[in-house]
Amino acid sequence: MSESYTRRRVLAALAAVSVLPVAACGGVKGGSDDAGSDYPTRAVNFTVPFAAGGSGDLISRAVAKAAEKPLGQSIVIANKPGANGAVGGKEVLASSPDGYNIALAVKSLFAITPLVVEDPTAIQPDKMEIVTTLVQEDYVLVVNAQSPYQTVEDLVKAPSVKYATAGVGTGGQLSQALLFKGAGTKATDVPFDGGAPAVTALLGKQVDALSGSLAETMEHIKAGKLRPLAIFSTERSEFLPEVPTAKEKGYDVVVDQRRFIIAPVGLPEAVSTKLEQAFAEARKDSAYETFLKDNYMERWEVSDEEARQHLKDSAAQFESLAQKFGLTFKS
Amino acid sequence: MDFGSVLSGFEVVFEPQNILYCLIGVTLGMLVGVLPGLGPAATIAILLPITYNIEPTPAVIMLAGIFYGAQYGGTITSVLLRLPGEASTVVTALDGHQMARQGKAGSALGIAAIGSFIGGTASIVLLTFIAPLVADAALEFGPAEYTVLALIGIFLVATLGNGALIKSVAAAGVGLLLATVGLDPLVGTPRFTFGSDQLADGIDFVIVAMGVFGVGEILYNLEHRLRPQPAVLSFGRAIPRRPEWLQSRMAILRGSIVGFVLGVLPGGGATMSSLVAYAVEKRSAKDPSRFGKGAIEGVAGPESANNAAATSSFIPLLTLGIPANATMAVLFGALLLQGIPPGPQLIVDHPDVFWGVVNSMYLGNIILLLLSIPLIGVFVRLLKVRAGILAPLTVLVTMIGVYSIRNNAFDMFLVVGLGILGYGMKKLGFEPGPFVLAFVLGKLLEASFRRSMRLFDGDVLGFFQRPVSAVLVAVLVLTIVVIPVLRMVRNRQASLTPAERKS
Repeated sequence: MSESYTRRRVLAALAAVSVLPVAACGGVKGGSDDAGSDYPTRAVNFTVPFAAGGSGDLISRAVAKAAEKPLGQSIVIANKPGANGAVGGKEVLASSPDGYNIALAVKSLFAITPLVVEDPTAIQPDKMEIVTTLVQEDYVLVVNAQSPYQTVEDLVKAPSVKYATAGVGTGGQLSQALLFKGAGTKATDVPFDGGAPAVTALLGKQVDALSGSLAETMEHIKAGKLRPLAIFSTERSEFLPEVPTAKEKGYDVVVDQRRFIIAPVGLPEAVSTKLEQAFAEARKDSAYETFLKDNYMERWEVSDEEARQHLKDSAAQFESLAQKFGLTFKS
Repeated sequence: MDFGSVLSGFEVVFEPQNILYCLIGVTLGMLVGVLPGLGPAATIAILLPITYNIEPTPAVIMLAGIFYGAQYGGTITSVLLRLPGEASTVVTALDGHQMARQGKAGSALGIAAIGSFIGGTASIVLLTFIAPLVADAALEFGPAEYTVLALIGIFLVATLGNGALIKSVAAAGVGLLLATVGLDPLVGTPRFTFGSDQLADGIDFVIVAMGVFGVGEILYNLEHRLRPQPAVLSFGRAIPRRPEWLQSRMAILRGSIVGFVLGVLPGGGATMSSLVAYAVEKRSAKDPSRFGKGAIEGVAGPESANNAAATSSFIPLLTLGIPANATMAVLFGALLLQGIPPGPQLIVDHPDVFWGVVNSMYLGNIILLLLSIPLIGVFVRLLKVRAGILAPLTVLVTMIGVYSIRNNAFDMFLVVGLGILGYGMKKLGFEPGPFVLAFVLGKLLEASFRRSMRLFDGDVLGFFQRPVSAVLVAVLVLTIVVIPVLRMVRNRQASLTPAERKS
């Protein structure tokens, strides 16, 4: 008897699990025609188009947790990684604009990925709603603390530099390529499979330099294993106030990563207002504030027009810089 | 070393709530290990939000338990159903499944559990004493070393098979080709993606293993459904008999050492460890032809190795802040969420977390051993379930597992396609083992080789100029060229003798 009971329970559990994806994709069409005035009546699906455990995943979970209360519904996170966020992003933008499907998006997908991959179906900044902007993350140029390079000048004067990046089409790659091209350094780019392996390579002195996010490098800087030389932002970072910007050093290279939340175009007015309010409230949450501090992220909180303009400007700027320096990422 | 904090770590472990979370973690881990496709990385990701509300130490103890618990569980499907859920249990399926077919499933799982326990525990002891030392050594491994290591692995893969060598090599070759799907790792050119984002990041290992092994096996058995099947009459017993123990104890010892050493290497360490352990057993056996036909050392060695590797892969995370594999990356995130950044400072700033987690693994391994021995008796009954019921259920669970990796329906079609490929391979006598392992190592080999070339400015001699890679090259040449040539010479002499007698 107990055996059949268990079996039934297992089957029931399996059935429940297998139904989930169907419900998530179907996007049940709401019965009411009053354009979402009672929104939200059920849980909101938040697609994180990156693997669990990474910066994109963590910030999404932190902000989603804070937004649940003001939204009055739970927010369910699903990781859907692939192609620097294009897979999950496109899927959400193609879903029905009812406010139940939102996704995290990153600036690099709009500003840097086009330099690397030709994609006629790429997401355009005008073809999405920006629910809220979230954070800005700066890239810092670091060398192994045991290396002889004390300043950016030392590094760019080296006869040859091998620099690590977190991969093709990352801000770390672009910032270093622009820096070394601009300085006329003989430098070779060595892309790794993510930020952690790149940091590992620098710790093991396999490479000479690395440009990585503060989240990736800060613990090693604090431990005295890596030495920061410059930061690729317009102003010095609050987290590394003693580190000069590349600009101060005479290299006009500004590259950063920014994160925001998008939704399909055509959200009913009531829905987009509700979402915006909920996330505005979430950004004031104290646990969210602590999270940002712990992970060395700075707030980037602007209107959606400003955000859209920033994405377009950066894309244009990076493209012209790449052309000017003859940088070819595409092959 | 500060033994005070090591000991106070035990105090942390024996707090009732920590014992409870350890128990929950390892049990959960064992269960997800058993479910094909559903891996520890996905499980930990799902549980991340829950850990928000738990204190850091118990949270990490639980999540760590899921990881090494899954290593115990993964063996069960490898042996019983020939469904390896992790790259590190692929080689276990080779001899383990044969043992199951011979009615020795109980022994296979029993020795795997004991080997896992010994491997895991030995690895924790080593971790306690030499973690910082080993961590620094791991940093010596750069792209050049990984290149040679992957190359050794690929040559070992070719010797795994039992059929014609040429078929193993062909299967491995196709595996290498499949590894090139996705954006080029160094310049980002799309390769074999057919213009689709879905394939941009390549194919996940679990999808390949589930398809070629699991779905392929099921399709193959479907065809044979109408023929009389060899009835599996007995399962053997879970506690190994004396001769079995004598046969496998050295394998367990060797596997534990191999596992500990290779597990420390970020990226591919655990897979390499089980593969190397298997090769070591096959080479050191008096009669290598038993391998692939149910040799117990072929289960004991790799299983001890992958558990030892699972434990030692915590070393780079806890001492350097470097996640060694996908699961460690999620654990990294979990620690960050708790406000505890993993890095060189962890052991200094949070000794209670560090030693609490490390010492909890002793307890976790004991729990797992106690859990798995009696459970083996339950699991082997799976073999009694009619194929008509077991096969569709297995496919269903596999599909859910595959979907859970990226929450992507495309991957479910992919697994079916790979299943058909696996079926065709089996039908034509190509083995899936070399194919799947070459696929894993192919990515590592290509990216590492090209990175090395960039670091060496295109000079291949660079491989001989770094001490560690030069030693590895020597090992490669020795195992691949010198030993086979010596063996060939010896065989020729052996075959000459009777001829000479005739004359």
